[in-house]
Amino acid sequence: MTIVALALSAAALLMLLVLAARRLVLARRERGHAESERRVRPLALAIVEGSGGEPPALSARDQAVLAEVLGRYSRELTGEADRRIADYFHESAALTSAGGELGSRRMWRRAAAAYTLGDMRCAEAAPELLRALDDDKPEVRGAVARSLGRLGVSEAALPLIEALASRRISNEVGGEALIELGSDVVPELRHMAGRPAWQIRATAITLLGLVGTSGDSPVGVEALRDSSADVRRAAAAALGRIGSSDAETALRATLDDPVDVVRAAAAESLGLIGSRAAASELLELARTDEFRPAHAAAEALARIDPGSLAAAAAEPGAGPHLHEAADLRKL
Amino acid sequence: MNEPEAARDLPLVLAADDDEDILELLVFRLERSGYSVLQARDGEEALELAREAKPDLAVIDVTMPKLDGFELTRRLRAEEVTRRMPIILLTARTQDADLERGFDTGADDYLRKPFSPQELSARVHAILGRR
Amino acid sequence: MSVVHAILRGVSWVALVYFAVLSLAYLTFTLVAWRRLGAHRRARKYLPLDEMYASPFTPPISVLLPAFNEETEIVSSVDSLLDLRYPRHEVIVINDGSTDGTLERLRAAFDLAPVRKALRTRIATAPVRASYISRTHPNLWVLDKENGGKSDALNVGMNAATHAHVCVIDADAVLEQDSLLRIIKPFVDDPELVAAAGGIVRIANGCVIDSGLLVKFGLPQSSLARFQVIEYFRAFLIGRIAFDSLNGVLIISGAFGVFKRAIVEAVGGYARDTVGEDIDLVVRLHRYLRTRGDDYRIRFVPDPVCWTEAPEDLATLSHQRRRWQRGLGETLWRHRSQIANPRAGAVGLVALPYFLLFEFLGSILQLVGIPVVLVSWLLGALSVQFFLVFLAVSVLLSVLLSIAAIMLEEYSVQRYKRASDIALLALYGVLENLGYRQMTAFFGCRGVVDLMRRRHEWGEMRRRGLERPEEAPSAREQARA
Repeated sequence: MTIVALALSAAALLMLLVLAARRLVLARRERGHAESERRVRPLALAIVEGSGGEPPALSARDQAVLAEVLGRYSRELTGEADRRIADYFHESAALTSAGGELGSRRMWRRAAAAYTLGDMRCAEAAPELLRALDDDKPEVRGAVARSLGRLGVSEAALPLIEALASRRISNEVGGEALIELGSDVVPELRHMAGRPAWQIRATAITLLGLVGTSGDSPVGVEALRDSSADVRRAAAAALGRIGSSDAETALRATLDDPVDVVRAAAAESLGLIGSRAAASELLELARTDEFRPAHAAAEALARIDPGSLAAAAAEPGAGPHLHEAADLRKL
Repeated sequence: MNEPEAARDLPLVLAADDDEDILELLVFRLERSGYSVLQARDGEEALELAREAKPDLAVIDVTMPKLDGFELTRRLRAEEVTRRMPIILLTARTQDADLERGFDTGADDYLRKPFSPQELSARVHAILGRR
Repeated sequence: MSVVHAILRGVSWVALVYFAVLSLAYLTFTLVAWRRLGAHRRARKYLPLDEMYASPFTPPISVLLPAFNEETEIVSSVDSLLDLRYPRHEVIVINDGSTDGTLERLRAAFDLAPVRKALRTRIATAPVRASYISRTHPNLWVLDKENGGKSDALNVGMNAATHAHVCVIDADAVLEQDSLLRIIKPFVDDPELVAAAGGIVRIANGCVIDSGLLVKFGLPQSSLARFQVIEYFRAFLIGRIAFDSLNGVLIISGAFGVFKRAIVEAVGGYARDTVGEDIDLVVRLHRYLRTRGDDYRIRFVPDPVCWTEAPEDLATLSHQRRRWQRGLGETLWRHRSQIANPRAGAVGLVALPYFLLFEFLGSILQLVGIPVVLVSWLLGALSVQFFLVFLAVSVLLSVLLSIAAIMLEEYSVQRYKRASDIALLALYGVLENLGYRQMTAFFGCRGVVDLMRRRHEWGEMRRRGLERPEEAPSAREQARA
C-alpha cells in the first residue's frame, strides 16, 4: 500500500514538472512569436497595400507568422487588398500545405485547413473546397462553407443551398456564406423555393429576402399561401425588404393567418413597406391579438401612421402594445 | 498640444477602432495617402483626442468599448469644437439599423466592414477635398 | 472500548468507500473532460465567431440583469453588457426594489425615458412599478418593480424579453467580449435540440477589470480566493464538462446562462420559494423536455465565459456555501421522484444521485472523514495499512486530481500565463486538504442543518397568496403518460 501511495505522489510530482516545463516552453514560444510578428507586420502591410517590392527572404517561422498575419488582415479587407493577398499566397508553400491538410485523417486538421484556405483568398482552392463540402464532420463542412463564401465561389451556390437545406451546415454559417456570394445565388434560390421539403423552402425564401430584389417579390407572395407555417413566416418577413406593391395586398390578407408568428411577421413587413391602407387592420391586431402579433402591429402602426397611433393609444381599452408604441414614438 | 489649424501642413485624421489589426490597416492607408494620423483604441480616448487636437476628419468604428461609435458621434456633434468635424463610421456589414442610427446621430458617411482601403482613402479625400 | 472502536471503524470504512468512489468518479470525469477540452482547443482554429457575428441568422438575445442594491457597479455592468460583441441583443435591467441609488445611477447614466412596456402575463410576478427605455441606447430597458427576490425579478425579465433566447446574468458577473457568441454556439449548431446552455464560471479576484472589461488575468492575492480558484477548476472544468457528455447538466450557473424563453415559460419560470432557483429550473427543464418526448440537449460550453468575484472573507464564504447547500437540498427534495428513476435518463440515474451522495450528503463525510480516521488509527481501532490507503484515496488522489485540473486548464484554456501561478495553484491544491475542504464541508453541513430547520436567510419576502407557477407534471402523471 505504501508503494501505491508513493506511486501516486510520484505521479503528482511528475505532472507538476511537466506542467512547469510546458509553461516555460510555451512562454518562450509566445515571445518568439511576438517578435516574429513585430518583424513581419510592416511586410504584411506593404503586401496588402501593394507598396514595397519583392519581399526579403524570411525564416520558416517568420513566413508562417506572416501567413497568419495576412490571414487575419484578409478577414477585415475586401477589394484590391484581397487580390494582393491572393497573389502572395498563389503557389506558395502555405497554400499547398493547407490543400494537403484538407485530406488529413484528423477532423480538426481538415477543418483548420479549410478555414485557412478562405483567408488565403486563392480561387484555385475552390475545387478542393467544393469537394470537402461533403465531409462527414459538421465542423469541417462549416469551415468549408465559410471559406467558399469568403472566396466568392459562385459555383458553390447550389451545393451550399443544398447543404443548408439538408441541415448539413448551420443557417448562420451557410446563410452568411450565401450572402457573401450575393446576387449570384438568386436564380438558385428561386428554384429552391419550389422544393418539397419545407426547410428548404423556408431557408431559400429567407435568403431571397436578404439578397434578392423586388423582382423576386412574386416568389414571396406565392409562398404566403404555403402549407407550412415556417415557410409562410419566412415569406412574410422577406417581403418586408423585397416586397413590391403586389405584396401589400397579400400581406394584408396574411394578417388573418391562423399562426401567431406568421401574423406578426406580416405586420412587421407592412410597417417596413409603409402600407397606409393596412392601418385599420393593424390597429385591430394591436388591440386584440396575442402578444407577438399585437406587438408587431403596434410597432408597424408607429411607422405608418403615428397620428392615429397616438389617438388610439389615448382611448380606453387600447391595450399595452399601443401604449408602448405610442410612448416610444414620442421620444 | 493644440496646433493652430492653419499651421498644419498635413490634414489630421483621427482613426478609432478597438481591433489592433484594423487600426493598423487604417493608419497605414491614411498615412500613405498623405494624412497625419491620430490613433484611438476606444471611444473615450477618441473623444479626448478629438477635443485636444481638433482633427480634420474622424474614422470611427461603430463597435468600440467604453463609448461606441454612435455615442461618440453624438457627443462630438454636441460640442462646439467638434460639431462640424466630418465623421465616417465603420460598420459591420449587415446592420441596416446601424446605418439609420448612424445618420441620425450625425455621421457624414459610412464604410462597411470588410472594407477596401482604396475606398476609404477615396471617401476621405472626397470629404476633405470639398473643404 | 470495543463498541467505540466498532463505531469508529464503521465510520472509517464508510469514509474510505466514499472517498474511493468519489476519487474514481473524478478520475473518470477528468479523462472525459480531457478529450472534450482537447477537441475544444483545436476547434478554436476554425471557430466561425466572425461569421456568427456578421450573420443575420444568429439568433438575437435578450440579456436579463436582475439588480438589487448595486449602485456602485451597476453602470459599468450595464455598459459592459451593451458593449458585448454580438449582432443583435437587448439588455433588460430589472431593478428589484433597490433601496439605494441603483435606479438613479441608471437614470443619470443612460438618459432613461418612461415607456409603458408591454409585458407577457404567463408567469405570475410581483407588480412592475415603471418601465424605462434609454434614449442613448435604444436596446436598453430598465424595469422597476417592488422587491420580490431574484427569481421574481428574472420572471419579470422573461415576461419582458423580446427575443426567443434569453441570457440570465448576475450583476457582479464580468463577461468576456465574445461570451455571448460562444455561449450561443450550441444553439446555432443544433437549433432544434438545444434548450439551454451554461459556461464556465471563473474567479475574477486578481484579474484587472477596467470599465467592466477584463484586461488582465491573474491569481488572487487572498488565500481564501486561491483555494476557491482550484476548487472551481475541479468542480467546473472537470465535473460540468463530464456531465455535459452525458446530457446530465444540472447546474447552469445563475451567474450566466442562456435559455430558450418559450421553454422556461412553459415550466412556469423560476421558482420563488427556493434559494436554489437555478438548479431547480434546470431540473424542471429536464423533466419537462423528457416528458415531451423529443430529443433535447442542455449544454455546457467549456469556454470561460463568465468571471465572478469570490468571497474573500469567511463570513461571506460561509453564507454562500450554506445557501448553495440549502438550494441543492431543496431541489433534491422537490424532485426526489427523479432520483434513481430510469425514466429520468442520465439526470435521474447519474447526475441527481451523484449530487445527492457526493455533494449533499458528502459534506458530512468530508467534514468528519479525515479526523475520524486519524483518531481511529491513533486509538488503535485501525491498522496502519488502512490509514495509508485512506490517505492515498482521500488526500493524495485529490491532490493528483487538482493538478490534473490545472493541467487541463493549461492545455486548453490558458488564462494564467505565469509558471509561478501554476506552481502556486498546485501548492494550494495540496494545502486545500489541510483545512479548506473541511471548512467548506462544515459550511455545507450547516446548510443542511438550515434546511432541516427551514430557516430562510436569503432575505426576500415570501409572497403568499400569489398564484403559484405551474408545476411540471408529477411523477404519477408522468407514469400515466
